[in-house]
Amino acid sequence: MSQLVIAFLVLALLTCGSALSMLWTKNLLHAALAMFLTMLGLAGLYVLAYADVLAVAHLLVYVGGVLILILFGIMLTNQTDPATGKNHLMTRESGRLLPISIGLSFFLGLFWLFTKGPWINNLPVTGDSKLREVGLGLLTEYAFPFELAGVFLLIALIGATFVAKSHD
Amino acid sequence: MTDIPVIYFLWVSAFLFATGLSILLLKKNTIFILMGIELILNAANLNLVAFSKNDHSLQGLYLSIFVLVVGVCEMAIALAIVLQVYRNYRAIEVDQFKSEY
Repeated sequence: MSQLVIAFLVLALLTCGSALSMLWTKNLLHAALAMFLTMLGLAGLYVLAYADVLAVAHLLVYVGGVLILILFGIMLTNQTDPATGKNHLMTRESGRLLPISIGLSFFLGLFWLFTKGPWINNLPVTGDSKLREVGLGLLTEYAFPFELAGVFLLIALIGATFVAKSHD
Repeated sequence: MTDIPVIYFLWVSAFLFATGLSILLLKKNTIFILMGIELILNAANLNLVAFSKNDHSLQGLYLSIFVLVVGVCEMAIALAIVLQVYRNYRAIEVDQFKSEY
């Protein structure tokens, strides 16, 4: 087993384990922390798939942006428990059996599909960083979608601030 | 040095997708459901990146960058909507949204 596979196993364990703990916990803040760990593991997996540009963008966007947004959302929609006076962070759940069994059956089905597929294992392998190609591509061939994504982000953020302000 | 097979990435992404789907079905808090959607989006992204490892034109990698941008936009708008819903109903759990009219 090469060092690369060992690194992959560690990162995959981090990702899957914290995703499972996100599913298991009922505390909203614990779930946000577990999502942080999931995103860290995913960034590592992106690096191992030679997508280092995407890994850095993912870290900036998810850990720096989305997670803070979620924490603000939790803070602004906070409810205090009338009995104890403490913050009420526990979420209620529907019955655990049915959703988890549906998710498990989806996982087993996809696992079976991926393992049985004859079209995956014999792909050729290339291995180096794609940083230069991605930079060139985003400024030449994919320049228009790139600018469009920027304008889309601007529209979405202005729309979000408009929706979130109080309309009294 | 031998490379990591594509199928390992596919297994991890299948696991992430199943976990996100379970979170969507299980939890009743709206912010929790949004976190499940983020997990599903990232499972799709991991698939795109893993296949683009073997693609010289790198189309999956470009698509995954745009998926990232759209995911962020969705999260910002959705949290703004959750905030407005909380102002109107004083609740963020999906079975407490009942019309009073």
